[in-house]
Amino acid sequence: MRLGLEIAVTGLILVASVYVVAVLDLVLGRLVAAAPLRLAEAVVRPVRRGALLFLQRPPRTERPDQALWILAPALLGAIAAAVLFVMPLGPTELSQSSGMRDVDAGIVYFGALMALVMVAVYLHGWAPNSLFPMVGGYRFVALALSYEMPLALVLIGAALPARSLSIGAIVDAQAGLWNLVRQPLGLPLYLVAALGLTFRGPLNVSDAADLAGGTPAESSGVALLLWALGRNAILVAAAAMGAAGFLGGWRGPALPGPVWMVAKSLALVAVLLGVSHLVGRVRLERFVIVAWAVLIPLALLDVFAAGAVALLAGRP
Amino acid sequence: MVRGWLASLAAGAPPRVFLLEGADPPAPACLLGQNGAVEVVDAPRSATLLVVAGVLPDALLDAARLIHDQVGRPRCTVQWTHPRAPAPPVAAFPVTCTVTGSVDDLVASLIRLQADLVRGALTSEAPILPDVEPAPWRGVGPYGQGGTGMTGGVPYGRPLAETAADRDGLKLDQLAITVGPFFPPFPTGLALELRLQGDLVQHATVHPNPFQVRSLPSSDESGDEAERERDDPFGTALDRPVAIARLEMARARHHLLHLARTLRLHGLDALGRRAMSLRAGLRPGAVAPLCDLRQLLERTRGLAIGTTGAGHLAEATVRNRGLGPIARASGLAEDERVEDPAYTALGFVPVTHDGGDACARWRQRLAEAIQSVQLAARAGEARSGGAGRVEAPRGPLTRESSATASALVLLPSLLEGMEWGDAVATVVSLDLDLRDLPPASTASAGQPTAAVVAA
Repeated sequence: MRLGLEIAVTGLILVASVYVVAVLDLVLGRLVAAAPLRLAEAVVRPVRRGALLFLQRPPRTERPDQALWILAPALLGAIAAAVLFVMPLGPTELSQSSGMRDVDAGIVYFGALMALVMVAVYLHGWAPNSLFPMVGGYRFVALALSYEMPLALVLIGAALPARSLSIGAIVDAQAGLWNLVRQPLGLPLYLVAALGLTFRGPLNVSDAADLAGGTPAESSGVALLLWALGRNAILVAAAAMGAAGFLGGWRGPALPGPVWMVAKSLALVAVLLGVSHLVGRVRLERFVIVAWAVLIPLALLDVFAAGAVALLAGRP
Repeated sequence: MVRGWLASLAAGAPPRVFLLEGADPPAPACLLGQNGAVEVVDAPRSATLLVVAGVLPDALLDAARLIHDQVGRPRCTVQWTHPRAPAPPVAAFPVTCTVTGSVDDLVASLIRLQADLVRGALTSEAPILPDVEPAPWRGVGPYGQGGTGMTGGVPYGRPLAETAADRDGLKLDQLAITVGPFFPPFPTGLALELRLQGDLVQHATVHPNPFQVRSLPSSDESGDEAERERDDPFGTALDRPVAIARLEMARARHHLLHLARTLRLHGLDALGRRAMSLRAGLRPGAVAPLCDLRQLLERTRGLAIGTTGAGHLAEATVRNRGLGPIARASGLAEDERVEDPAYTALGFVPVTHDGGDACARWRQRLAEAIQSVQLAARAGEARSGGAGRVEAPRGPLTRESSATASALVLLPSLLEGMEWGDAVATVVSLDLDLRDLPPASTASAGQPTAAVVAA
């Protein structure tokens, strides 16, 4: 019964947030395009677009791996749901009563799940048995290690002041000072890695126009709809983790904790979407060089600095 | 009931369109996506409507049929033709609707057609091609592999990857594919025969030009001169003087359209729509919105980040080849307008950029667009042309040659050794148009392959 409630709450949050991301993306797109902002249209369009895709018949390619083709978007959505499942929306007691639960090794849990995004994208490229989707899948694998290292390092840095791997404890440790201020390198590096994780904007190398759409190039109808939903869901999960890890999570004055958590997550979603509309796709080889020569050393610096501060702060 | 409810919702969705552009379209087909009322998609699978803009030459029909059958179902095809030159019906190609008119007319028709399609008022088009294997089974395994000559077999007509040395001296698989002639980022009709190792281009060959008739009016062509000058000012300027203001505004519009295509390729769809919107509202002398866009692109490095270093062309490679803005982006001040007294009277000095890469080329074109808008404001009634040679947006244009012909020669050697993303960015940065080529080659565009399908 309780598990059912937890799953229902997570599902509700996921569906609502995926829809909000779609609307926000349209609104930001119109702002960047300097086009008139028609809010009513932005609110309705994702639903209409979804209905259109829902009515399209499933695609057929020559000897696809049909099971993996279905599994890939499902895996993406499941990863996002599993992350949101452990994301604290308020104080521990509130989170538990509202159906969300904290886990002792939340950061490790997040990292392990996010590594599976690579599997989902690769399978999505592999399954249709077609050239451009497959190249998209391989491109993502080539990219993944370069963003995962800084991602893992900055999250370790965020966990150090809390002396715990629990996401709830990391939020609690930011009661006096957010990690954004304490570790100024953390959030910028996390956001760069999040662009890779969510394969958006400058790091959208797998679903790119130079591959005729990349991994979803052979997808249509419900399959394409699910993939789009999965992409938005991963974006929400990454933003929520960023809000919890660097912006104090649910903590904030006056308003209830969940409102703060949602507001901070949405702010990060808006930042990531804004960057996606303003910065074009990078050259993969160049990004890999920058990641290993600049981002990973900076992330190490962030961890060492956070560790030193935590050690000094912990002395009697 | 649920289906009816979904259909009524879907009827209001923006049409999802895949474009096939032929010769003499009423307007550049990519303008369809300029205000967001229509979504121009990168792959036919996710489209519901196939738009055939202009006339498809016979050499492209096989590829067009293949793409038709890949468009998502329900689907229908719309032929968009010029009011003055209606296209003949395409042989063995179902066309549900023909639209002759402006982009706005086409958009209105597409919205109506998609709504009818999802409501079931319109029947989805059946496939054109038979649902059979493209070639006989050659092996004994479940995927056509195996049997005699296992590694050199041709399962279903597709040769297995053979190994070849890569740039690091390793022996790696090499895949032979054809990309085009309707690969969206490429100019329409361009098909490349490629050998890839991973996404690295090892070898590239350009297929023959499928467009047999150059899209330029001949000097003795009759018709409304004013209309001809409006539709094709540079072609007209080969024969007689044309107002410089008209030429320069056409140049600025051309460069902005190319910038929009470049932005879209790099994932900047919203900025691409902004460039197209600026193009639509372009006025002589009104450079502020263009400068704002340039400032935004420079500050965010939004486009430079993916184009810097791609497709470098040295000065020596492009010198005296008649490559116009491509040469000027490599630092050479080659421009036919320098020799024209009408332009020198306006104080014209060619803009140039250093770098010679894809980044320098879009910067060059944006700078030229701004310069053209300024020239148009200063030009007054001044006219230029009539000498059989004119500086068109892509470079020097005569009846016998065009910048596209010169750039195509460079393409294979330029692409070899590039990663696929850089190769596509390079092709786009050259701003080719096969319809501009003199009719030197009339051979077939070649057989489309799975790569065309993905396109």
